[in-house]
Amino acid sequence: MSSEYKQVKRMTTTGRIIHWANAISMVVAIITGLYIGHPYYQTFIADGAVDKYVMAWNRWGHFIVAIIFDVTSVVIAYLFFFSRFEKAYKKVIPTGKNIAEFIEVVINLATLNKRKKFDSTHSDSFNSVYFLIFHLLLAWMLLTGLQLYVSGLESGLSSIGKWWPWMLHISTDWTRVVCGGTIMDVRIVHHYTMWYIITWVVFHIYYQVWRTIFWKEADIAIVFGGSKFVKEK
Amino acid sequence: MSDRIEGVKKLFTSKSARVETNKGESYYLDLFEKCQTRLSELRASQPANRLDFSGLLNDNGIDRRDFMKWVSATTAMLMLPPMFSPLVAEAAELMNRAPVIWLELQDCAGNSEALLRSDGPKIDEIVLDIISLEYHETLQAASGFQAEKQLDEAIETFKGKFLLFVEGSIPMGMHGQYGTIGASGETFHDHLMRVSKDAAAVIAVGACATFGGIPAAAPNPTGAVGVMDVVKGKPLVNIPACPANPVNMVGVVMHYVLTGTLPELDSLLRPKFAFGYRIHDNCERRAHFDAGEYVEEWGDEGAKNNFCLYKMGCKGPMTFNNCSIVRYNEAVNWPIGVGRGCIGCSEPDFWDKYAYERPMANAKIKAPTGGVEKTVDEFGLGLLTAASIGIGIHAIASAVGGKKDDGGEA
Repeated sequence: MSSEYKQVKRMTTTGRIIHWANAISMVVAIITGLYIGHPYYQTFIADGAVDKYVMAWNRWGHFIVAIIFDVTSVVIAYLFFFSRFEKAYKKVIPTGKNIAEFIEVVINLATLNKRKKFDSTHSDSFNSVYFLIFHLLLAWMLLTGLQLYVSGLESGLSSIGKWWPWMLHISTDWTRVVCGGTIMDVRIVHHYTMWYIITWVVFHIYYQVWRTIFWKEADIAIVFGGSKFVKEK
Repeated sequence: MSDRIEGVKKLFTSKSARVETNKGESYYLDLFEKCQTRLSELRASQPANRLDFSGLLNDNGIDRRDFMKWVSATTAMLMLPPMFSPLVAEAAELMNRAPVIWLELQDCAGNSEALLRSDGPKIDEIVLDIISLEYHETLQAASGFQAEKQLDEAIETFKGKFLLFVEGSIPMGMHGQYGTIGASGETFHDHLMRVSKDAAAVIAVGACATFGGIPAAAPNPTGAVGVMDVVKGKPLVNIPACPANPVNMVGVVMHYVLTGTLPELDSLLRPKFAFGYRIHDNCERRAHFDAGEYVEEWGDEGAKNNFCLYKMGCKGPMTFNNCSIVRYNEAVNWPIGVGRGCIGCSEPDFWDKYAYERPMANAKIKAPTGGVEKTVDEFGLGLLTAASIGIGIHAIASAVGGKKDDGGEA
């Protein structure tokens, strides 16, 4: 049985750039974030303080990747609804068709690919929902993180103007109430959410590799080359 | 849940936490005139006691120069321009025109102690000495029916004019029977409601009176709450910390004497002049924080070199208070100055959420649901392990029994 493979485009260049920017940002955010929460390595006491700026550099790195996350999230949120390539929101609306596909994908995973009754040439609703969860976690991380950040800007001033801390208060003060009332609660929740995101990532990587191995459609190539290959019927 | 929804509504409608340190020339000129009028009115009024402020200063060996230094510092603390200094000095002398009633509820009397037990009274304490303390449950000589009569008289005489200081939380459990006072066995709650009804303003001092403090710590057996949870519809100022700094009490009373109004407050009703910034923002050890220089254990080289106490559990980065600027006991010293971390005593729920004297990452934090103690990291690692095991099982099962969508050759 011979068959021809056809190439299916699944991710745009923009999408791939954002994916890897996010992946690298996340690694940096975790490394620096854990240090900020609890400085786990020591500086050399023999060095003069002027030569060291370790916590400050960690915080700097953490905030820079947070901003990259912020901005790419805005872009992703826009593309979620308005992308000319693929409007992902259409796959997360609970229509009969989407729910049926979602269940079929779960069955496929649970039956170890013994049953595969859905079209795997396009992004399926299971993955779309899964990615949506990620972006909601990320948005939550941004809001709690900015709430922690604005504590240091109580003068009401910032290098880019007074509007910035003002806006942060307006948009994130509610997280304090939701988390339990104090900044400490926000901090704990921010830390918990990191673990949820790491757990999310572990399954994400596993599942993409699993698909590649069992579906034999080169799914792992999507994030590098933008395409996968599906057998022509 | 409805509490939280109320809280969210309040947050969105409250003014931002921003601290406005310069309100413009016309504002201050206007305020200056108002204060002058107010002070001349006060001077004309009958003093409530015959204590002489300058005499008291002399008796305690404080000269004019020290007093003027204190005046400048207090003016700056209230975020007023230097031209207000003469008015602040005058207001200090007129403090005996401000009638105060002080209630002592469920607490350790630490805030009263903070005022009384300094080695030699400093100007802040003297100022608080001469305020017209009409009734103070811990300090007064009277007791029983005599004390109640004194309270009734004070309320009657200064109806709508006195400042009500409250120290200690209000136990709400068992219909308030955890704390009663006086010969008639009035509960703390009824006592507070009765007296606060006729107060010009209520000033809650200390962690207990503001947010419930240690009595309200989990599992909160007495159902303790702060003053702002029960007293509604009255001007209310919170001066938290354990104990509240006398400097900040003076600041609030001074502001009231000077302007006849209460200072600008943040969303937790704390005066912004004192609680507008974090300990961390003005900490003398901040440079060590940024440099990554931390005390690793008590008595190590870092501790000897005054390194940052963050890894010993200092909560300065999450705590809004002015300790790092004004310190305690007329700027003699303060917690971080003596080499131990901040425990966040001026924040809500501080005993449960701040005061464990370890970094958050090492602390056994009580889960909000109660019961099991576990750390965030143990939980996170557990979750990750569970996910990995699930993935492992799936991967092995796939490898053994999975069907590869073969291209014809596998």
